[in-house]
Amino acid sequence: MRGTWTIYRRELAGLFLGPLAWVLLGLALCVNGFFFTLYLVGTQGDVNATMMLAQGGSRSFWGLLILMPPLITMRLISEESRTGTLEFLLTAPVSDLAVVLGKLMAATSLLALLWSSILVYAGTLSVLGPAPDWGPVLTSLLGAALLSALFCAIGLMASAGTGTPLLAAFLAFVANVALLSLPFLPGLLGLGPEHLLTRALAEMDVIAHFQASFLVGVLDSRHLLFFLVWTAFFALVATRLLEARRWRG
Amino acid sequence: MITVEHLTRRFGTVTAVEDLSFHLERGEVVGFLGPNGAGKTTTLRILAGYLPATSGRAEVAGLDVLRRSLDVRERIGYLPESVPLYREHRVEEMLAFQARLHGMPRREWRRRVPEVLARVGIDERRRSLIGHLSRGQRQRVGIAVALLPAPEVLLLDEPTSGLDPLQRMEMRGLLGELARDHTVLLSSHILPEIEAVCPRVIILNRGRMAADGTPEALVRQLGHATHVRLEALVGADIDAALHTLAGLGGVDRVVDDGPRGLHRSFRILCEQDLREQVGVLAAERGWALRELSWYRPTLEQIFARIALDMDAEERAGRASTTAAPVVAAAGVKAGPGARQAAQAEREERR
Repeated sequence: MRGTWTIYRRELAGLFLGPLAWVLLGLALCVNGFFFTLYLVGTQGDVNATMMLAQGGSRSFWGLLILMPPLITMRLISEESRTGTLEFLLTAPVSDLAVVLGKLMAATSLLALLWSSILVYAGTLSVLGPAPDWGPVLTSLLGAALLSALFCAIGLMASAGTGTPLLAAFLAFVANVALLSLPFLPGLLGLGPEHLLTRALAEMDVIAHFQASFLVGVLDSRHLLFFLVWTAFFALVATRLLEARRWRG
Repeated sequence: MITVEHLTRRFGTVTAVEDLSFHLERGEVVGFLGPNGAGKTTTLRILAGYLPATSGRAEVAGLDVLRRSLDVRERIGYLPESVPLYREHRVEEMLAFQARLHGMPRREWRRRVPEVLARVGIDERRRSLIGHLSRGQRQRVGIAVALLPAPEVLLLDEPTSGLDPLQRMEMRGLLGELARDHTVLLSSHILPEIEAVCPRVIILNRGRMAADGTPEALVRQLGHATHVRLEALVGADIDAALHTLAGLGGVDRVVDDGPRGLHRSFRILCEQDLREQVGVLAAERGWALRELSWYRPTLEQIFARIALDMDAEERAGRASTTAAPVVAAAGVKAGPGARQAAQAEREERR
């Protein structure tokens, strides 16, 4: 779509010209590296198990995944609205969807950069000892990027719907936690495994979708589509919310 | 080039613009005047495709701003009042971003960027971070950004606000230049600026069109206060003096402003400057003159009149015959302070 690439480049530059992206990247890399060493020791040197834990099989990964996107996306729309540059973007000859997609791609790229640190770990292991299985490493990297896109779309939605970045981050964080907890809901309600809601929510199990395919090195179009469709859905909602800002004025 | 028909925009229960209609020909330069909150920014935002209208229609270059929004935005250079620029970028980068958004070929914008920067007089700062520029410099960069895609229409919202007098003078020169090859709609509440740059003025008040025309025509139409002021020793028979003055050709009405010491003050309302005739008359009658002067309201005074709704009050018969000095006092600055001052003054007079 026209303008998406231009906005993507501007947003990515904007992210890296501010201190926030660097601070977040630095912190996340430290956390990631710390846990990676921990997993390597914990699995007694099983490199493949370590790689799986580091990239989607552990709480540290999901923790970062629900924390980072809200912090990166919180400013993208609400802050621009406050400084007035949103008025510039929304009067440029590009569609609202292009604005949202450009921002979504930029935020996702930043997170993909973070997750790509897994390549450094895998590379280090290959040089210093037994090489990990590269297939799952690469698919889990792709999966992590897709997951990031999903959570960034939620973050953008929150940013488009609120006036202050902090509120946007908080709402997005809550939404992320809620999304990941959906599969536990039937258990809390005491519904059996055959109940319609249980089966429906099992389809919404983000973690299961990721762990059943990308983590173990399988590229399954069903899971791929799951992430793409939901990302598109939240991106569209974000676009509508951006449009609603025009009506509110 | 710009057609607005029955445009209305509401924000909840607040009506920002109500039933506004006007038309701009290609190449016209029109000043949008009005007190804060009159609906100038809202109208410009609707034209720029930022806000949708509640009802009514707006067209730019024959294209509906809502249905053909992207095509309209390509033809418009819009500078919002807040001068939105990415502070973390360099001036050049901001312009490159604008060029890419407009899909300009690289070769073309490489050529045009130095051109527009030179035109707004900021080419020596093209490598500077926008965040490091002064307010006036940012304003220029904002205009450069709006000018870069060579738009047919320029919408400038308060392009001179926040500038010092020198910068303002320079900006006025720049606006005059821009007026030569663009259709320009600019808003301001700095009246001399509008008078200097715009051959046509639209005055908004409370979202409605209050006046539309050349500054001179507005002064003529809405002024109804051009008068010769006479202070003289006319003797005891005031009525006779009033009668004599009213008998002069071209005089609409004569107002007796009462005694000023030994002298008596009159306002002789007339469209033409009748100082000579009044002077001759005074000489014939042997009145000792102390003052004989010609008063013509400025656009500022008319603006203040509209902004403070004085005409309505006058119609309601509340304002006294001494309303004119109030207008003059309020005309100096039509801000909220002046408004209060003028109101207080009116209270006093009652």
